Amino acid sequence: MKKKVLLVDDSNTVLLMEKMILAKGPFEIIVAHDGVEGVEKAKSEQPDVILLDVMMPRLDGLSACAALRSDPATAHIPIVMVTTRSEEANIETAFRNGCTDYVTKPINAVELLAKLNDILDANAAVAQ
Amino acid sequence: MKNETQRPFIEKVTQDTRDYVQSLLDEMQRLSRSVAELEVEIQTRDQRELRLAQRMAAVEAESRNFATRYAEVEQQNANLANLYVASYQLHGTLDRDRVVAAIQEIIINLIGSEQLVIWEAEDDDTLRHVGSFGVDADAWRTVGAGVEDGLIGLCLATRTRFIAGESAILPAGREKNLTACIPLLLDDQLAGMIAIFELLPQKEGLAPVDYELFELLASHAASALYCTRRAPAAAGAAQ
Repeated sequence: MKKKVLLVDDSNTVLLMEKMILAKGPFEIIVAHDGVEGVEKAKSEQPDVILLDVMMPRLDGLSACAALRSDPATAHIPIVMVTTRSEEANIETAFRNGCTDYVTKPINAVELLAKLNDILDANAAVAQ
Repeated sequence: MKNETQRPFIEKVTQDTRDYVQSLLDEMQRLSRSVAELEVEIQTRDQRELRLAQRMAAVEAESRNFATRYAEVEQQNANLANLYVASYQLHGTLDRDRVVAAIQEIIINLIGSEQLVIWEAEDDDTLRHVGSFGVDADAWRTVGAGVEDGLIGLCLATRTRFIAGESAILPAGREKNLTACIPLLLDDQLAGMIAIFELLPQKEGLAPVDYELFELLASHAASALYCTRRAPAAAGAAQ
């Protein structure tokens, strides 16, 4: 069964790259172009996992992450932050706002797929 | 007399002893043959074990080779995806601002640097700033050809690229963190130039795919920028 993945990024380059990486797996892809659209789509589509960029117009990724965690309808959805900044402070903020894991840019396809599979496997185990 | 009466007994004992010794010798011979056979069997087993161990080592090496090859193919796929995405983004529009934005996105998201400048060639000897990220744009408004404008000026004058680590010349001053300077050339005609400064902290250095992205940018970004110049003229002619 295909897992639903919501990609939230304002960069078409990153969205295209993520789509190409995920095309190898059993994933159904949904796309949002900023934080506001991302939160809305997370509520309506109920994805299995969200890939959330940090720097975005309207609502940045960290605020979107906090908003998703505070809403009971989306609080359970795993969130992987996609960040250009790997400094500890940024990562700490991301985890404080409720992200499940993070990947840094440029995205490493093998790392991203491994993290997504780990998260989805863990979720499936909890569901059983 | 006494000896005579004991003689049959002694002969019997002697015979029994001889028979017993013979049976012991026979048994010893049989055991010796068994030991020899067992030694041959052990030797055969040892050889078979050795062959199996050698085969096992070969299979393990083959398996490691497959794993390495699989990782290489995965990496090649990822690299091809990078190049496809970059090419697709550059040629997806005739709008100059969007081409410049695409170049920026490629450098930030695929190469991994948040310090960059993009210039368009005004003429053979001057570059005009059309986009930048993470640097003081005013400091890079124009660049002229020649060593007085640093390494970037030298790249402009000679139409050659600079990539840190490949050149004996070390960037200095405002170019101190210069990682790459790529002239955008279309049939040897200069369309623009890209300067990439510091890489993102998680990037340990340039990867092989980055060099391929530089190649791709050098030609495809040049043609994309060139097309944006020609597009309004072409649209006017069509009307």
